[in-house]
Amino acid sequence: MKKRAMRISPDDNTATALNDIEAGESISLVSKSGPVGEMSAKQAVPFGHKLAVVDIKKGERILKYGEVIGLATQQINKGDYVHTHNVASALLPGAKEAK
Amino acid sequence: MEFLGYERPDGSAGIRNYVVVISSGRCANEMAATIADAVPGAVPVIHTHVCVRFKEDNEKALRVLSGIGSSPNVAAAIVVGVGCENPSPATIAGEIAKSKKPVEVFTIMESNGFQSFMDQGLTTARRMVAEASKMQRKPFPLSHLTLAVKCGGSSAISGIAGNAATGMVLDRLIAEGGTAIFSETTEVIGADHLIVKRAANEEVARKFREMVDRQEATIKASGEDIRGTQPTRGNIAEGLTTIEDKSLGAMAKSGTSPLQGVLEYAEKPKGKGLYFMDGTAMTSELISSEAAAGAHIHIYNIGGGISSSFRCPPGWMGEIPFIPQIAVVSRRSKPYDSQENDFFDIYADTVIEGTESVDEVADRFFNEIIAVASGKLTKREMRKGYREPIVLYTTGPIL
Repeated sequence: MKKRAMRISPDDNTATALNDIEAGESISLVSKSGPVGEMSAKQAVPFGHKLAVVDIKKGERILKYGEVIGLATQQINKGDYVHTHNVASALLPGAKEAK
Repeated sequence: MEFLGYERPDGSAGIRNYVVVISSGRCANEMAATIADAVPGAVPVIHTHVCVRFKEDNEKALRVLSGIGSSPNVAAAIVVGVGCENPSPATIAGEIAKSKKPVEVFTIMESNGFQSFMDQGLTTARRMVAEASKMQRKPFPLSHLTLAVKCGGSSAISGIAGNAATGMVLDRLIAEGGTAIFSETTEVIGADHLIVKRAANEEVARKFREMVDRQEATIKASGEDIRGTQPTRGNIAEGLTTIEDKSLGAMAKSGTSPLQGVLEYAEKPKGKGLYFMDGTAMTSELISSEAAAGAHIHIYNIGGGISSSFRCPPGWMGEIPFIPQIAVVSRRSKPYDSQENDFFDIYADTVIEGTESVDEVADRFFNEIIAVASGKLTKREMRKGYREPIVLYTTGPIL
């Protein structure tokens, strides 16, 4: 079976890896109800970690569960690994969202 | 939709039909357990509350113990004590009597010695069990049910497997007119603004904010700042990026229904729908207060890993004997746990394996809730033996 990642809410710009995904791998994107499409992972994403399902600009909101889990600290491209190296909490003092 | 339950005099419906023997203080634990253990159909409620505590903690103990006795899963209650406890056995029994169910109180101080006290307790327990055994289950709408939830051993996967399915189950019960309670005040810090957004009105939003602020102030007074410590390094290694990410995963178990009210520890909801209760993330302290608030079933979500590998992690030790616990696991971490261990009622790891969607797990889970409400035993209910006293969530010291 193809490796999978779950986009929890249709509004999310991230998906959570349901397998260890390798760089360059083509994966199946699923919702809570089932498969919704395919995409390619540009970077390796460990099980339980996130990848971008669209391009995200620096300062833009990172969405998971349909809610803001932080802000992008740099440009993130579709298929990139999303974690502490490119996202910071929106609740931190000085966190600034790009409009 | 309906389940088969026991009709109670206050109009509620129980899903179990036990006689409880409640110890009014730690000094009476052995007596309560001895009486209950001698009578099939009776269960003891033993706990760690002692008389030398601050007023606020005595009041909490009264809410928990009388709330437990008033639970719809209880047919009749016996309160036992030495007689000098605080709250007094008579006060606890008086509160239980408000539910109109049979309640009796026995103390050593008001008996002709210990043996006479025990004989009275046993005779009464047998009579109450005989009465309760005559009751038949009958159909009730699901609007009579209250679910309570708690999670432990969480990871990034809990939020998309077990907790996600639990949230859907809660939404479905609430759509049927039922009630659900979630808690763990420290766990919502970081996602508190999102719960405020779901408040049914401004009053609920204000009360929720106050409750979270109060908890944060208590933590800060001890020199800790929870916002700076979350997520932990372990969480980050598992894929949780920020405190929002972690808190949202935990909150996923509360579903998406509007928040109808905010409860103090062990306070009963005044209406139907979703409620938040002030409480700790420690399981025993939490499930005792959820039982006292009238929860019929306790849903315990385990992320996976080592805490799913043995029979009695803390979440399973502090059980309330008449509240069935539906245990859910999001990930089996081989070789620790396998289906053969069979500790869980709902395996949600099928979401990770790709054999089921979250929707499908929620369907199965909801059916299981109706089955358990109608009498099906949970895995935990099928294990007898070792038990621990219930621990109460207290704020003051033992004096």
